[in-house]
Amino acid sequence: MAALLAAALLSLNGPAPDATALVILGLLCAFAANTSVVLPNDSAMSASFMLAVASIVVFHNDAQLLGPLLVGIAGGIYVPHIRERQWQKVFFNAGSLGLAALAAAGVYSVVPTNILESVPGQLAAAIPTALTYSLVNFVLLTLALALHDKRPINEVAEELWLGDLQIYPFALMGVLLGRLYVDVGAWIIPLFVAPILIARQAFASYLALREAQEATLSTLIRALEAKDRYTAGHVERVARFANLMGLELGLRPTLLERLRYSSLMHDIGKLVVPNQILNKPGRLTEAEFARMRDHERVSVALLRQIDFLSPVVPSLEAEEKHVPLHSMPLETRIIAVADAFDAMTSTRAYRRALTQEVAFAELRDKAGTQFDPSCVHALIAVLERRGEHYGAGHETHVADFAVPPPVVGTGSAGLGDLAIEDQKVRP
Amino acid sequence: MSRTRRIVLVAGAGALIAAALEAFSWGSPDLAILGAALVVSELFELRPMGRAPLPISFAVAVVLVPASTPTEYALVVGIGYLVAVAIRPEPSGLWERTLLLAERIAEGYVIRAAYRLVVDATEHTETRALVLGALAAAVIAPVIVADIVTAVREHRVASARVRGADLALVTSAMLMAVGYAGIDGEGRLGLWGPLLFSIPLLAAWYSFELLASTRRGFRQTVSALGTAPELGGLVRAGHVERVAELAVALGVELEVNAADLEHLETAALLHHLGSVCLDEPAPGTPLDPIEVARSGAAMLRASPALAPAGDIVAAEPSLHRPPGTGAPLPAALEGQILKVASAFDELTEGQDEHAAWAVEALYTGPGYVYDGRVLGALERVLSRRGLLVSED
Repeated sequence: MAALLAAALLSLNGPAPDATALVILGLLCAFAANTSVVLPNDSAMSASFMLAVASIVVFHNDAQLLGPLLVGIAGGIYVPHIRERQWQKVFFNAGSLGLAALAAAGVYSVVPTNILESVPGQLAAAIPTALTYSLVNFVLLTLALALHDKRPINEVAEELWLGDLQIYPFALMGVLLGRLYVDVGAWIIPLFVAPILIARQAFASYLALREAQEATLSTLIRALEAKDRYTAGHVERVARFANLMGLELGLRPTLLERLRYSSLMHDIGKLVVPNQILNKPGRLTEAEFARMRDHERVSVALLRQIDFLSPVVPSLEAEEKHVPLHSMPLETRIIAVADAFDAMTSTRAYRRALTQEVAFAELRDKAGTQFDPSCVHALIAVLERRGEHYGAGHETHVADFAVPPPVVGTGSAGLGDLAIEDQKVRP
Repeated sequence: MSRTRRIVLVAGAGALIAAALEAFSWGSPDLAILGAALVVSELFELRPMGRAPLPISFAVAVVLVPASTPTEYALVVGIGYLVAVAIRPEPSGLWERTLLLAERIAEGYVIRAAYRLVVDATEHTETRALVLGALAAAVIAPVIVADIVTAVREHRVASARVRGADLALVTSAMLMAVGYAGIDGEGRLGLWGPLLFSIPLLAAWYSFELLASTRRGFRQTVSALGTAPELGGLVRAGHVERVAELAVALGVELEVNAADLEHLETAALLHHLGSVCLDEPAPGTPLDPIEVARSGAAMLRASPALAPAGDIVAAEPSLHRPPGTGAPLPAALEGQILKVASAFDELTEGQDEHAAWAVEALYTGPGYVYDGRVLGALERVLSRRGLLVSED
């Protein structure tokens, strides 16, 4: 706060900024900060930075420090914070964004005028300006969070450090916008804001639609799954395990989305297996078993019809032909591990649930041959870290079986005979 | 060839031509670069829902207008669109491509004509308002031409609600053009202007693409789920797709609105989904259609987005009730459409030559089984397709 005051006093020592430009840019900056889109990876995309850069160029000739400072401060005015009366947050954001803009303006002001006259020179000057802006913002945010949460600085810093490359095109656009504003006037602003708002609106409706469709799909899958009384919740659990593993393995948001979709659909072929077979207590006859196996063919035929899953589909088919592990897509390898783990840790008509330890031991045992070792490792690591337990003794829902399932039996997912034997559990 | 490869090829060719223009002082190298940009941008079309695609190349053509003489403009736009239409992935067919090229040439022509019209109507002084107005006219003109083409070809005009993409294109094109040439010598940024100010437009393009592919993915998922009963041998192959197609045609004929048409299509695709949850009947006995509909409708009604389709599936097996005989069921008309489409396909087994016989069979049922309005629509749709040979 004190630094902000000192900086304000320092920059007051000069001509006053042009009021029209200040109001327009300040309002826009605040508006942009309040209409940012939250991306699937939890970062926010905002055009307020670009307007701060534009203000650096606009006020370069009169109030080269005070102008950007005020516009930067405007970018910290976030309406939800004000509505919740979180004044501390408002002051901090306004202050740190103001200081960041001020520091960036300082860097820009020492660039020689003859460089700034040419467009490429001005664009080049935007790079150190943007770098200063993000550095100051990063340092202030790190310090504040470390003080507030009483955590070590380097830990917070690591968390916040994004190395955001997306700010540089914004900086370049900001510089040109500022230049055009100076040369041709304020009406340039709506021309610039309109396409950004439309892109933003389309992007927001994409995010909303994606969410709605995923909810719809998972409801539908759950309804379909109801035909198999003994595997209630299997698909949801596999999707959840797969998602945790994907996060652990550091998958990109688009891949995570495809992973979630394909794990919801992984058992879809089961739709065509008659209820009598799915819910039959005890052993299946050979003919019944053949129909049970048929569901893999149907899964492939169904998933083929969905374009964006096509990179995942051929592998499903390949599973039957025993294609080497490493040539399968990562999603398929993740789902295979999640599927096997859930099959082992839940009670099925053919076998009671195994303990988590036995399931882990089995996964470790088959890692490298049947399962991808990194996927096995990811699942075990994430569940242990979260302290989650599945399998015998931890089942939330066990169906009523007409014939009690045997303690020992075959495993699902081609695991062969599984027995709870002490020698299977390794320390 | 992938989009990236096309872009690299065109950009390379543009750079080569620009270098040649510069080296032999034949003309401004910017023209070659803008020409290449025109070709590349033709590969990016804004495709919002409910609106015909809008090519970003209009914006590049607008940048070209103040940057070139009439001859240069005609040359660059003509060659540019010839190449662009040749390397676009669609439309397929030489005739379709020729038509598109003609459309683009016409649009390129009106861009310059509209600009000149505004500039010539005044005193030739470059004021802000004049330049702005001329540029706005220049970019709105081809959009109008494209709209007319769509109206003629597809008999539809986009409503004002879906004009967001138009606004993005118009404003971006104006900004790109002002950025390139400035106004009265002020604010000239050269190629940097159109290059950087096309970013918001490309962001809009990308968002519309994401939106469209999400929608497509969901529709494909629904239709894939709909084929599950077929793959399990519970329904004749191709039944649900044919029923969906016919039901939508009947819905259009009966003036069902766009949102309900979408629900009708979903319902038709999923109207047998309930069958997978029922116990398999003894060999030789069919599944009870009322049970299939009940189980399918319950599944769909579980999620808000599919509930209207669930209502249609639920209404399907019910008998048609003539007006004035009790309260109408929800989704009654759509349910009757689905019922007629499904019964028709059961009768024809997908064979066109059985169409006339099937319609006759549907008409001979008692009046409370099938809705007369829907049967009338079926007759009209089928005879338009030439499937009902007139008897006299």
